[in-house]
Amino acid sequence: MANTVIAQGITIEGELTSDDDVVIQGTLRGKLIAKDSVNVESGAVVEADISASSLSVGGQITGNVTASDRVDLMAGGRLIGDVKAARLTIADGASFKGNVDMDV
Amino acid sequence: MADVTVVGQGLFLRGSIRGEGDLEIRGRIEGDVEVTGEVTIADGALIKADITARRITVRGAVAGNLTGEEGVRLEDGARVVGDVRGAAIGITEGALLRGNVQTGAGAEGQKGRSRAAARPTVRVEPRKAAPAVVVSKPARRAETSSADERPGPPPPVVPALKKGARASLRKRAR
Repeated sequence: MANTVIAQGITIEGELTSDDDVVIQGTLRGKLIAKDSVNVESGAVVEADISASSLSVGGQITGNVTASDRVDLMAGGRLIGDVKAARLTIADGASFKGNVDMDV
Repeated sequence: MADVTVVGQGLFLRGSIRGEGDLEIRGRIEGDVEVTGEVTIADGALIKADITARRITVRGAVAGNLTGEEGVRLEDGARVVGDVRGAAIGITEGALLRGNVQTGAGAEGQKGRSRAAARPTVRVEPRKAAPAVVVSKPARRAETSSADERPGPPPPVVPALKKGARASLRKRAR
């Protein structure tokens, strides 16, 4: 089980800092800085800038995203904002609007 | 709700948590917590926030007011500085509390009052509360000391602890 879970029905507002991985199924507004992976699951709503080692997006994110390792935009995922990551995958069926910076 | 929201050990939140569902806190929170379900504050958690929930169980450190509609339980290892309100309040041996306590009528929520008889509870009449109540032994002791001898400051509650037990308690509190 993941160390931190924001379940459906819960809204967190503010600044989150985490040493471990974070799973979001509910709503987050503000800012998220995680040293490990962040998983935004289907149904989640995130209005926050996210910084993580890896990020997987199945829900909806509005905000800029930075990952030291990778960003995976899954089918059904929706991302509005800029992505800065070494690796980026966008699955068929994902929505994305923003700039990409892959450290070329 | 199938999933419980968990605030992990390595997590620090400055802000608020609101919504429907249960919550388990093992990390650090500064701000505000208001949920409809049960809140469990695990050993090692560090919280500076007012907490409002249906039921609250504390095994960690909290600076803030606790309002449990149905009840609040302070278990071994709990360190609470703040006011506690709820229909039924249980303070287990080993829990530390500094603040006002209000149970039953006047506290939020009337549900779950029958539970009060089943477990140790502190019943404080709704009048001017003592400036500080420190409970570290069974709750009944606090009941007699705070309810009987008024007016005047409450007598200090001196738990009959073994030699060295106090020091170790204090050490743990750090």
